[in-house]
Amino acid sequence: MKLKLVLITFISAAVFLFALFIGPEPMSPFNMSGIEKEIIFSIRLPRVLVSLFMGMALGASGAVLQGILRNPLADPYILGISSGAALTAAFGIITGLSLFGIFTVPLLAFIGAVIAGIFVGAMGWKRGGFWPERLLLAGVGLGFLFSSLLMLILSISSDAKLKRAALWMFGDLSLADWSIIPFGFIFIAAGIAVSLSKAKALNALMLGDDLAHSLGFSPKRERFILFISVGLMTAASVSLGGMVGFIGLLIPHTGRFIAGSDSRALIPVSALGGGMLLCIADLIGKSVLSPVELPAGIITAVLGAPYFLYLLRRRDVLGA
Amino acid sequence: MNYRANVIGFRVHGIKQNRARLLFFMLSLLTLNFSFLTAVGAEAPKRIISLSPSTTEILFAAGLGDNIAGVTTFCDYPEEAKLKDKIGGMSNPSLEAVVSLKPDIVIVTTDGNPEEFERRLRSIGIKTYIFRARTIPELAGGIRDMGEALDEKERFDALAAEIEAGIDKIKSERKTRKEKVLFIIWPEPLVVAGPRTEIDDAINMLGAQNIAGTAVTEYPKYSLEEIIRQSPDIIFIGAGKGMDSVSGGLLNRLSNLKAVKEKKVFFVSDHLYRLGPRVIKGLEELEMHLNK
Repeated sequence: MKLKLVLITFISAAVFLFALFIGPEPMSPFNMSGIEKEIIFSIRLPRVLVSLFMGMALGASGAVLQGILRNPLADPYILGISSGAALTAAFGIITGLSLFGIFTVPLLAFIGAVIAGIFVGAMGWKRGGFWPERLLLAGVGLGFLFSSLLMLILSISSDAKLKRAALWMFGDLSLADWSIIPFGFIFIAAGIAVSLSKAKALNALMLGDDLAHSLGFSPKRERFILFISVGLMTAASVSLGGMVGFIGLLIPHTGRFIAGSDSRALIPVSALGGGMLLCIADLIGKSVLSPVELPAGIITAVLGAPYFLYLLRRRDVLGA
Repeated sequence: MNYRANVIGFRVHGIKQNRARLLFFMLSLLTLNFSFLTAVGAEAPKRIISLSPSTTEILFAAGLGDNIAGVTTFCDYPEEAKLKDKIGGMSNPSLEAVVSLKPDIVIVTTDGNPEEFERRLRSIGIKTYIFRARTIPELAGGIRDMGEALDEKERFDALAAEIEAGIDKIKSERKTRKEKVLFIIWPEPLVVAGPRTEIDDAINMLGAQNIAGTAVTEYPKYSLEEIIRQSPDIIFIGAGKGMDSVSGGLLNRLSNLKAVKEKKVFFVSDHLYRLGPRVIKGLEELEMHLNK
């Protein structure tokens, strides 16, 4: 297992460098002109980092959520967190708010995500703890409400802003900027660290609350901590670059195929897998029709879904 | 229909050619005088990137076509614009493509380009100019302002003067009309020109009334019912490939409308789709149909 992890880390690093120097115009890292340096450091590096962090957050969140909700269909977006973020971000884009300069839209998205998370948490809370089914249903219900409010805003807005908002919603990394990366990084790194430190508890939770309890874990407490850390990771990821589908739902399943369902291995594998997939997806998105850029969210699904379906046929990825 | 469109094009072209010849002569005199100055004094930006079709048209019309280093994928007029390097779309230009073309200045509009993009360009040390004109009455002023920013005052002032002359001519011939007009951009789904568009400006400048002028958005998806209720006197349908066949279904459904019965449905060019030098031609075209 250790070997597999080291191998995947190396592959991720290679993908990272590949994304940095290859597309859309390949550059040699050893012989860069002034303009190429500028492009690498102020445009590509922040962009590749954002896609890496976002992908890692989504992959890890998915792995954790499928465990604490004991549901193979759970993903970071099913809890309504992303719809909350999309609603506030679209509101910011369409009204042209710019209270905090370039931070406005990410900040609004983060606030929307956190508020949605609190709502879902409050709905899913009963008798001193979260109930998986209640959380899921509350998330789905709230998601519908937010998406219809979003559609309402979009249907009465002007074309240019509409397009901008739509691009954001599909996951638009084109304006990734250094200034926002540290904030996103703090939340995502903390979220992954907490999830990893709770990996054993997560393993126990997957067996059922009674068993987890008899193994010495407090299911309510562990579920609460994991929910908060996933919520913040997802919020940070959405605010970094919008919504990128597929990764949160299907990367953990693919990860299970490679690393088994032990969370101690699954969480890092899902995180690295998510990061890699998003890096590659964004590289392809900005290269195929260059200079027209396709949102990364579209590419992740187009790339990932067929592979996932193939795995599903070959082997029962849902089984433990 | 095509035949009619050709006749208009010809007429407008004829008028324009004389004026253009005179203008060219005047311009060449000016450039002769100033070429000496510019060589020594202030340096005008040599590599310009235009982030919208309208500013691209303005730059070409002002004679700065050779200085354009990059345009959007939507910049298709004049023909030469298609040959320029592309930097992506209007709402999603590629930062990397812009930077790699090493522009001296990037021209951004408030209509269609994301604000963050302009901020981002400045943050990496690229000079920007924001073109703020949004309506036909603001166009000439916007062009003059752009000329100052690009250090090409004479060329842009001349272009602005030409546009002002065109507008003045139309204003002087303006009649009080009571025609209600509908300008259809696309028949299915039915999208029409609403408020704050060049087309709405043009209809108002000609003294007519745009029935979609009170809609909420610029290019609203309009209701058939409302068209029948308002009963426009004239319907314009914007240019596009095979537009007459696409519009067939819509016109059938509107066949009881007065405008359709009296054959007051006109297919017109796309001159008014962008806030650029061609709006004058567009105004003249609408005026001609209104006067029929």
